[in-house]
Amino acid sequence: MGATANAYLTGFGRYLPGAPVDNDGIAARLGGDDPVTERIRRRILESNGIRQRHYALDEHGEPTELNEELAVKALRAALDDRGIDAADIRMLACATTMGDVLVPGFASMVHGRLGGGPMQLLSASGVCASSLAALDAAVSKIRLGDHPRAAVVGSELPSRSLRQRRYDGVRAGMDSHFLRWMLSDGAGAVVVEFQPHPDKPSLRVDWVRHVSLAHEHDVCMRAGMTGPEPVLGGTWQDVDIADAEAAGMFLLRQDVGMLDDLADAGIRQFEELVDIGLVDVRHLDHVVCHYSTNMFRDVAFEALRRRIPTLDTDRWFSNLETRGNTGSASIFIALEEAWRTGRFAPGETVLLAVPESGRFSFAFAHLTVVAPPHQQGATP
Amino acid sequence: MSTTTTASAEAAPSAADTLFERLADVWVELEERLERVPILARLAEGTVTLDDYRRLLFNLRQQVVDGSPWISRAASSFDGDHFELRSAAIRHAEEEHRDHLMLERDYVAIGGSLDELRAGRKNIGSEALSAYMFHYAGRPNPVGLLGAMFIIEGLGARRAAGWAARFQEVLGLADNQVHFMRYHQDADTEHTGNLEAILTSGAIDARAADEIVRCAQVVARLYALQLEELDR
Repeated sequence: MGATANAYLTGFGRYLPGAPVDNDGIAARLGGDDPVTERIRRRILESNGIRQRHYALDEHGEPTELNEELAVKALRAALDDRGIDAADIRMLACATTMGDVLVPGFASMVHGRLGGGPMQLLSASGVCASSLAALDAAVSKIRLGDHPRAAVVGSELPSRSLRQRRYDGVRAGMDSHFLRWMLSDGAGAVVVEFQPHPDKPSLRVDWVRHVSLAHEHDVCMRAGMTGPEPVLGGTWQDVDIADAEAAGMFLLRQDVGMLDDLADAGIRQFEELVDIGLVDVRHLDHVVCHYSTNMFRDVAFEALRRRIPTLDTDRWFSNLETRGNTGSASIFIALEEAWRTGRFAPGETVLLAVPESGRFSFAFAHLTVVAPPHQQGATP
Repeated sequence: MSTTTTASAEAAPSAADTLFERLADVWVELEERLERVPILARLAEGTVTLDDYRRLLFNLRQQVVDGSPWISRAASSFDGDHFELRSAAIRHAEEEHRDHLMLERDYVAIGGSLDELRAGRKNIGSEALSAYMFHYAGRPNPVGLLGAMFIIEGLGARRAAGWAARFQEVLGLADNQVHFMRYHQDADTEHTGNLEAILTSGAIDARAADEIVRCAQVVARLYALQLEELDR
């Protein structure tokens, strides 16, 4: 068997557009200030626990940036953190739920704006877990020794399509309101290398695992289709654009009735990681978990604590309440903050966990904090 | 033609045995010298850095690109009486012809710039080694170059894979980043086998044996010099 290299996360960056928007500032940007919508919004905000978020919208609700711009700014922050330039990376893996354009791929647009030199691209589409799918691809190529350095970014700009004009004259039930008052904009990025950072700690990627259960679950989160069933004539590509819009196909919807199943399935996936030995609960120090609302925080936390009795809130990290739910960007935005604020110490391990409601996908990554090479001798 | 000293071969059981013994002495001396080369000492003790590996590839590349050209020149210097040596040289030149491309891919795979690598110049030791090889290859019937092959192919067959494994062990490199050194274990083992066949074929007289040993001594010293003079 051939030898492979290790993959290390050596640079971390994030970009959250504009000033933070508190719960009272949402309506100015997204609209929906009629009494009924107002009541729904308040109820949803209470349950998801998000206190502030960012939108790439000005105070009148007009877009200020493209999704690809968010991605590039997060990438530049990660490259700066590592002290390298775009020309130093040989692969760029980008994840987003919806890019700015239909064609070409998101990564092509991000590379075009970022610059640098020739590089391999990957556009991972999907929803929240797509960023770890992108990370997996980059880590694999680094481990193979095909590239010395790669960058990975998760980036989302859903706010444009959450504005009132999309909802006018369209039947929008709880399935679209739930996401409308939950999602917001942002991007998070990491640099992946085959060597650790020369003089700062790094996160070694021990493994990444991505599992889909779409074979046994219906669509949970959707846009561009009339209902959860994929049928000819029922997607936005099969009908006139105006008809698709009138049918509400361009609203992002989530079947909230399936979310308990999603949480159960996610917990079973975690249990499996423990059962097959990928996670050693005696040596798991930190969990960075993506979840859409605080409702699921307690469910997930209690489930993990059944297996890891020592898991306390100090070892559990999420910044959902202050950075919002930024979909595929969330896990990198959370990791960046946890890393920057010094939560992790050399030798400790970190589990990243990302459930994706789209059609039931689950991604995990296991990381180990390593000291800079010249200090490793001093570490027992 | 050459100023080789005439070694006494009268007491030896056979010319080939003596030649191998004399080459073995050259090899032992080379190994002793290599142990003192700073980058190889760091490799042995495990303190070598990624930049050391990058520099080694960079420095080797500038001389490795000359390998196939000097062997080709040597091929053209063998007359009809040395037809077999000319055949061997032509084959060998072809086999070495693309070697530096492998090294270049390794260099890029660890983060180096191909443009910078190709724009690099030889270090002091590489200048001396390459100039000596081209000079020698231009002489009529340069049989002594078999001594150069003994050293260069011997390093590839006996040492390169060990260096590659140690670099991988210390720096955590993937196979994809050490192609050049790993490849040479197999390729040069085959080449040294071919070389031994020539040396034992009975075609080497005492005068040729002297030339081979002398060339091996010079190449061993200059090869070590190339490793000592990194970037200079």
